[in-house]
Amino acid sequence: MDDQNAQPSGQEQQSPDTDLQLSASAVRGVMGEYDNVDTLLAACRRIRDAGYTKTDAFTPFPVHGIDPALGIKPTALPWIALAGGVTGLLTALAMQIWMNGIDYKYIISGKPYISLPAFMPVAFELTILFASFGAFFGMWVLNRLPMYSNPIFTDPRFDRATDDKFFLYVDSKDDKFDRAAVEGIMTETGSEYIAPVVEDESPKEVPKFIFMIWALVIGLSSIPLLVVLKMRLTRSDLPRFHVFFDMDFTPSKDAQQNTTLFADARTMRPDVAGTVYRGQMDMDVLTGVDMSKLSSMDPGRADRLVALFDDVSGEEERDDAVAEKLDNGNPGGAQSDKTDGPGVPENRRNQSTGRPQSPAQDQELQKPAAIGGVDVPGADPVADQNSQTGQTDAAEDSTPWLEEIPIEVDQDLVYRGMEQFNIYCSVCHGANGGGNGLVNQRAQKILATNWVPPSSLHDPSLYADKYAQGKLFSTISNGIRKMPGYAAQIKVRDRWAIVAYVRALQASRQATEDEVPQDRRDALMQQRVEVQKRLAEEAAKEKAANEKSAGGN
Amino acid sequence: MSLAIPNGLDNTVEGAGQRAPLVLGETTYHDITEQVCGVAERKPNILWWVGFVVSFALLNWFGFCIAYLLYNGVGVWGNRNPVFWGWPIVNFVFWVGIGHAGTLISAILFLFRQEWRTSINRAAEAMTIFAVACAGTFPGIHVGRAWLAYWLAPYPSLNLWMWPQFRSPLLWDVFAVSTYGTVSLLFWYMGMVPDLATFRDRSTNKWRRMAYGVLALGWSGSSRHWSRYEKAYALLAAFAAPLVLSVHTIVSFDFAVSQVPGWHTTIFPPYFVAGAIFSGFAMVLTLMIPARTILSLEKLITIRHLENMCKIILATGSIVGLAYGTEFFIAWYGQVPAEKFAFINRALGPYWWAYWTMITCNVISPQLFWFKKLRTTPWIIVTICIFVNIGMWFERFVITITSLSRDYLPSAWAYFEPTWVDWSMLIGSFGLFFTLFLLFCRLLPIINMAETKSTLAKQYHMAHDHSHDGGHH
Repeated sequence: MDDQNAQPSGQEQQSPDTDLQLSASAVRGVMGEYDNVDTLLAACRRIRDAGYTKTDAFTPFPVHGIDPALGIKPTALPWIALAGGVTGLLTALAMQIWMNGIDYKYIISGKPYISLPAFMPVAFELTILFASFGAFFGMWVLNRLPMYSNPIFTDPRFDRATDDKFFLYVDSKDDKFDRAAVEGIMTETGSEYIAPVVEDESPKEVPKFIFMIWALVIGLSSIPLLVVLKMRLTRSDLPRFHVFFDMDFTPSKDAQQNTTLFADARTMRPDVAGTVYRGQMDMDVLTGVDMSKLSSMDPGRADRLVALFDDVSGEEERDDAVAEKLDNGNPGGAQSDKTDGPGVPENRRNQSTGRPQSPAQDQELQKPAAIGGVDVPGADPVADQNSQTGQTDAAEDSTPWLEEIPIEVDQDLVYRGMEQFNIYCSVCHGANGGGNGLVNQRAQKILATNWVPPSSLHDPSLYADKYAQGKLFSTISNGIRKMPGYAAQIKVRDRWAIVAYVRALQASRQATEDEVPQDRRDALMQQRVEVQKRLAEEAAKEKAANEKSAGGN
Repeated sequence: MSLAIPNGLDNTVEGAGQRAPLVLGETTYHDITEQVCGVAERKPNILWWVGFVVSFALLNWFGFCIAYLLYNGVGVWGNRNPVFWGWPIVNFVFWVGIGHAGTLISAILFLFRQEWRTSINRAAEAMTIFAVACAGTFPGIHVGRAWLAYWLAPYPSLNLWMWPQFRSPLLWDVFAVSTYGTVSLLFWYMGMVPDLATFRDRSTNKWRRMAYGVLALGWSGSSRHWSRYEKAYALLAAFAAPLVLSVHTIVSFDFAVSQVPGWHTTIFPPYFVAGAIFSGFAMVLTLMIPARTILSLEKLITIRHLENMCKIILATGSIVGLAYGTEFFIAWYGQVPAEKFAFINRALGPYWWAYWTMITCNVISPQLFWFKKLRTTPWIIVTICIFVNIGMWFERFVITITSLSRDYLPSAWAYFEPTWVDWSMLIGSFGLFFTLFLLFCRLLPIINMAETKSTLAKQYHMAHDHSHDGGHH
């Protein structure tokens, strides 16, 4: 304790006499009143110079310069606050490391269990909190407050110490205490009112009714806690009491459970009649088939085709259903597999339905992948077999393929198609579409026995008038012969872009100048002249080189 | 003993060789006591009663809405997929922001020795605590099962067998706001103890004397006590200054640590802190200017106080405006499509009206304070400050609602519609705030008397020196 001596403490001794006589022992000290700061400070210096140490001044506001005038030592409070802050910091770190790093571990965002940067905010807050507690409570403890009984309060005139008057006090316990001398100094320094401070005679016990109220409050407020405690510790045959019944027993259910909310007791609700799911209106774009024509020609087939793209829930169930439908309705598909020869699993259909599906793909885009290799949109054994032999007969292919590309074809789309073609198709079909890509070259070189050479895309049977745009799209999506379907890898729009580019490739071998737009024609001709010129130059150079080498020999 | 400074003197200018006074009129220490204690000792006037009845009615309506919410569940709010944060969080951030001015005035201006703070800090601190009380209500009831909100505390649960997740900004927020509320309360109460002793010593009624006596903890004005008291006050100010900056920083982490476009930006902490100070000062002025007129405190809360606060509003308002611009710049400069969209959507999307309300109120209106005439005319200050408060509410609305209503998944986009409960709770929270503030005006010392007297003592001292100098000429 630093300098807590001068404060008169009423609790230290019981008041010896009850009458109003002022016995010498009842005088606790002397105080003098001043009405401004300057006279107070002067008096403080005089008192200190006279050798008094158990002194104090009472002022309505903190007076600048009074600490040296009275000899008040600096307080130890900053150290208490520092101790509080350090305690807070260590408590916070220990708490977080123990709770999240040791006792109850769980991984958040792949961070380590003890992730100090994330523990900093709470550590900072608790440091501040505990340091503030140290400063706040430390101050009251060092000041020995609260203390409600204080002899200086006995003089009604002292009430102005919190208003506009200044009091100097010298305690009678001071070794040098001499009441007359103290009063002399006070008079000399301009005090207008000097009075002895006497024991507080008023009862010091806290009135009984306050304890009664206190006990009553404690008693009443503990009733709910006791009720909770009893409920926790004892058994009861009564059903549990639910304040919010539907929060404890929510009527919502998981998949496959039954429910009382609907008459048919199913939690998994079928589509509302007339539901049009996202993208359903674009069946033409997804399949390459003119759906309205197909519906009028063969409603059953149209429905089956829609069903393949339709059922969003129950992935496995759907795939099974698809396989079953195909088995029943399309034996030709299975038959066509057999011509693929050995090395291909017997049931390619199951293999393809089990193909892992990329999560990055949209749901609707995965569906053609799920049926890839079975050419369902074609769904026509004759057409399949024909296409296998490369002898497509339009009359026998009853599928109403789209004759036009159903999305807008422009330069960007064709370039996109070129990019995608060069990525996915050119490895087999060759960059020029001639059917002699690197894979084919390699297969020929090693004389691969199972190899079915890729078609040349410049075969007239694959031109748009014989091989509809929709059919080409379907082939890209679902595959043909050795070629797998690319629906899982290439987006719908990009597949159509490839269709557009394949047509451009085909046109490049047979188009005439007249088909080039007027504004491009000149540039194209210019280019051709340059190419021819360059070729001629190269040929001339080569010729010259040959002659030279021949001449050298 | 008094200092002759004529009433109505313009203390917003300082002439050469003479500092402008902070306390006006022929004022003595006793006059300050009379003026401040008089507010609580007089019978309240009709304006106070009207204000109190209206606020108390709103507070009861707020209580009813909370009960209605607890009984029916959070579905009574407009919070729907994808906007699950809705108005409760908008209101929370709004009120926490308001709660920043008090501690800023008390702590940071204290550390910078800005003596003009002395006559406004008490009311501003009180406002801080009431605003934090309003703020604390919203996340408390927003957790869904409000009766289980204590699960946020790290206590050894016998039922859960688990601990809170300390890597979440939402838990940091719990610690930040509760620490801030606690420290602000300690700071406010400690600052008030000497003035409560004044109230005690002036009480003529026994019960009043006992009540204030208990609260004053036996304060006697001892110099040995004052010495430690001032040290404790300085320490608390030093602790509260970084605390006040950390709180809104951590509130901004609630947003910035997530991945939502429009939230995931590093500018949030300084931008939120500036906005908080901005809105807090605006709210202090909105309350203080009517209060100083109604309670006749013009000599203590002078035009110079108001002007200084307007300057801070101008500065922080400009920082906020700069932050809005920076956000847009970074959204463009960063070239993240979702971020770019989020900001274009804020300004031109379905909530354009909220965005442009925010810009008008927060960026344009404080610029009027460049004109001295406008920042020294009380009714104009109040008008602009009300606009700033509206604008700052809309800022939180814009940040919370626009980003959530349109994030990465366009199929989940939706337009947020508040319900009558949302409206009632926003208005009702003002009922809580004003009820507490009006009670504070009636029952507690609304101006820090001890510090104001201390300022006056310095003024005497300077006048004394000045007259000495004059004597030599």
